[in-house]
Amino acid sequence: MVAVQVLSPAADRCYHRAGQAGSEIGVGYAPAHHGELLQGIFADAAGQPRRALVTLPQPGRGTRATFYPSYSHSGVLGPPEQTLVRRAAMLALRYFSTFPGAAKGGRVEISSNVPTGIGMGSSTSDVTATIRAVADFHGVTLPADEVARLAVLAECASDSIMIDDRVVLFGHRDGTVLETLGHRLPPMFVISCDTEPGARVDTLRLRPADYDDAELAGFGVLRAALRRAVALGDAALLGRVATASARINERYLPKPHLDRLLRACLRHGGCGVQVAHSGTVAGLLFDALAPDAEQRLRRCAAELEFDASRIGIAITGLIGVSASLAGHPAADPHEVEVLVR
Amino acid sequence: MSIQTAFEEATETYQVPRLIRLAPNLYGACFTLMKMIPARFILRRAEAQGLLPPHTVIVETTSGTFGLALAMQGVHMNRRVVLVSDPVIDERLYRRLTDLGAVVDRVPAAAGAVPGGYQAARLRRLAEVRTEHESTFCPEQYSNPDNPRSYATVAELFLECLGQIDCVVGPVGSGGSMCGTVGNLRTVLPECRAIGVDTHGSVLFGHADGHRELRGLGMSLMPANLDHRVFDQVHWCSASAAYAATRQLHRRHALFMGPSGGAAYLAARWSAAANPNALTVVMLPDEGYRYQDTVYDDNWLRGAGHLDQPLASEPVRVSDPTRPSGSWTCFDWGRRSYAEVMAGVAGVAGAAGAAGAREAR
Repeated sequence: MVAVQVLSPAADRCYHRAGQAGSEIGVGYAPAHHGELLQGIFADAAGQPRRALVTLPQPGRGTRATFYPSYSHSGVLGPPEQTLVRRAAMLALRYFSTFPGAAKGGRVEISSNVPTGIGMGSSTSDVTATIRAVADFHGVTLPADEVARLAVLAECASDSIMIDDRVVLFGHRDGTVLETLGHRLPPMFVISCDTEPGARVDTLRLRPADYDDAELAGFGVLRAALRRAVALGDAALLGRVATASARINERYLPKPHLDRLLRACLRHGGCGVQVAHSGTVAGLLFDALAPDAEQRLRRCAAELEFDASRIGIAITGLIGVSASLAGHPAADPHEVEVLVR
Repeated sequence: MSIQTAFEEATETYQVPRLIRLAPNLYGACFTLMKMIPARFILRRAEAQGLLPPHTVIVETTSGTFGLALAMQGVHMNRRVVLVSDPVIDERLYRRLTDLGAVVDRVPAAAGAVPGGYQAARLRRLAEVRTEHESTFCPEQYSNPDNPRSYATVAELFLECLGQIDCVVGPVGSGGSMCGTVGNLRTVLPECRAIGVDTHGSVLFGHADGHRELRGLGMSLMPANLDHRVFDQVHWCSASAAYAATRQLHRRHALFMGPSGGAAYLAARWSAAANPNALTVVMLPDEGYRYQDTVYDDNWLRGAGHLDQPLASEPVRVSDPTRPSGSWTCFDWGRRSYAEVMAGVAGVAGAAGAAGAREAR
C-alpha cells in the first residue's frame, strides 16, 4: 500500500498552458545524470544537518514518459516492475485532482536509454518524466521544486535532474535546494566508466552513509570549494572536490580501481574523478577550456580502453558538460533514440 | 539572494578573519582574537550536548587569549568562568577578564622554578578548582578534538576566497589552529604545505623546555592536539626577530598585529618570496593593542635589547631540531611524527658518534 500525502494543487505556482488542457495524452521528458560531484551532509539555512548532493548531469541520456488518462478507473497501470513510476503518477494525479478535466487514473509508458542500477539516476529520470507527463496532460508545466517534492514523495530519495537551469546542492531526501551554486558547471569533458560492468546497486536498499566527525567537517570545506569552482568556472578546483568526495565514498560503496582511474586522469592533464555514490559509474573529468583538452581526453580514453577488459572495467562513453565534443554534437535530449523498457 | 544581516552577539564577529593581500602570492589571515573560534565552538557545542547546564562553572588553565575568549562567551551564555593563570598575567588582561566577571586564580610565583614550570602548576591548581565546585566544564583546549575541529570554518573561508592554496604558515601553541585549518584544507588540497612557527625553549618541536621570551606561541608541555604529521617545515623565531617583523608588518602593510603573528609573517614572507608560484596564507592570531607598551614602544624594545637587532633575510637551516641556535632557524619536518623525527636525530647523532670513534681509532 502506497501512502499518498494529500497535496494542495498550488495552482498559482504552475504555468498553465491555456487551451491545451484536455489533450488526449501527456508527455514528459527527464534527463539522466552521471553520479555526483559531491555528496554528504551539509547545514541548511537554519543550520540543521541535511543529506544533500550535487549531481553531474549527463546530456544525451534520458527518459520519455507518456501518460494515457482514464476517467473511469482510479488506478495507474504501468511497467509491472516499476512501482515508483506508478506511485509518481498517483501522486501527480492527486496533485491535479481538483483541476478541471482531471483524470482519475491512467496508464504510463516509459521509453528510456538510461541504464539501470549503475548510478545514472534511471529511477529519478523515470519518475520525473512521469510527473511531467501527468502535468502535461493537465496543461501544466510544474516548477522544478514542485517536481522535486513529488519525486521525493514517490522515491524517498531523489536526485536533482529536474532542476536543469542551475547548479544546486540538493537535499535528496526531502527534495529541497540547500543552495544554488551557480548557473552552470564549468565546461568539462568526462570519460564515463562502469567500474563493475554487470553489477547492479539497488539504491532503495542502500543504507545511508554513517559519516564520521572528520568527514562531516570536511563536507563544509568541500562545499566552500565547490561554491568557488562553480562561481568562477574553475574545473581544476571542481575536480579536486569531486575526487575528495569520491574518496570519502570509498568507505561506503568503494569503486574498484578508483586510484588507477585517478592516476590515468591526472597523467593526461585531467582534473579528477567523480563517482556515483549509489552506483558503479565513475567519470574522469577534464577542463574543456584547457589547451588540447580533447586530444588529451581521447588519449586517456584510448589508454583506459586498452586496459579495460584486463582490469574489468568498461568505458561507456565520452560526455560534454557545458561543452560539446567533436563527433558528439550537443544532443537535443528529446531527439535521442530511446530504448523501450 | 541574500542580504547583509546584523550579528546576534559580540563573539560572533570574531569568527571570520580578514584575508588581506601582502604580496602577489601572500595573504594575511587577520584575526581580532583567533582563540574565539575554538572557545565559542567548544562552549556552544557543550551547551547543545547538555554538558553545560546553567549552574555549571567553566574552568580552564590559561594566561592568554583563550581565557579572554571564554570569559566573553561566558557573558553571552550567562555562565561563571574560573581561569587558572600564571602570576605574570598581563595586568590589563587581568582587569578585562575580571570586568567580564571571570575569576582569575593565579598560581604562586615559586611554581615557576620547578620542572614543568607554571603550566604544570596550573594543571594541578585546575584539578583543585574542579573539586571546589559541584559542576564544572573544562574546554581543555590542549586535548579537546573540538579545538582543531572548530577551524573547519577558517578552511572554508580560505577555499572560497582563494581557491587552490599551496602553503599555510602560522604560529603553533595548542596545535589547534594549524592542525585544524590545514587538516581541513587537505580534504580538498592534499598537497597544501604547512609551516609551523615555534620559538626557542618550547618543547613542541624538539627544544628542551626553557625560558620563552616570545609569548603567544610555543609550549612547556606537549599538547595532545598537536599532530606533528601535519607539518612540512618548522621555524624557530626569537623574540627580537618576531618583534622586528611585527613592526615591519605594521609599517609596510598598516596591519597592527601581535608578535606571534609577526613571527609567522617573518617565515611566510621568506617562504612566499622563495616560492613565487605558491599561493601562501599566513595566520595572524591577534591584534597589537595588548603590546602597545612593549613591542610597539621603541623605548621598551631598547631597554630589553631588541631594538636595532639585525633581522636576517632568511633562516638558518638546521639538521638537528633539538638544538636551539641562532635567532631564526628552520628544519624540514617532512610530515613525520615527533618520534620519527627524534629517532632520525638520534640516528644521525649516533652515526656521527660512531664515525668519530672510528676516526679516533
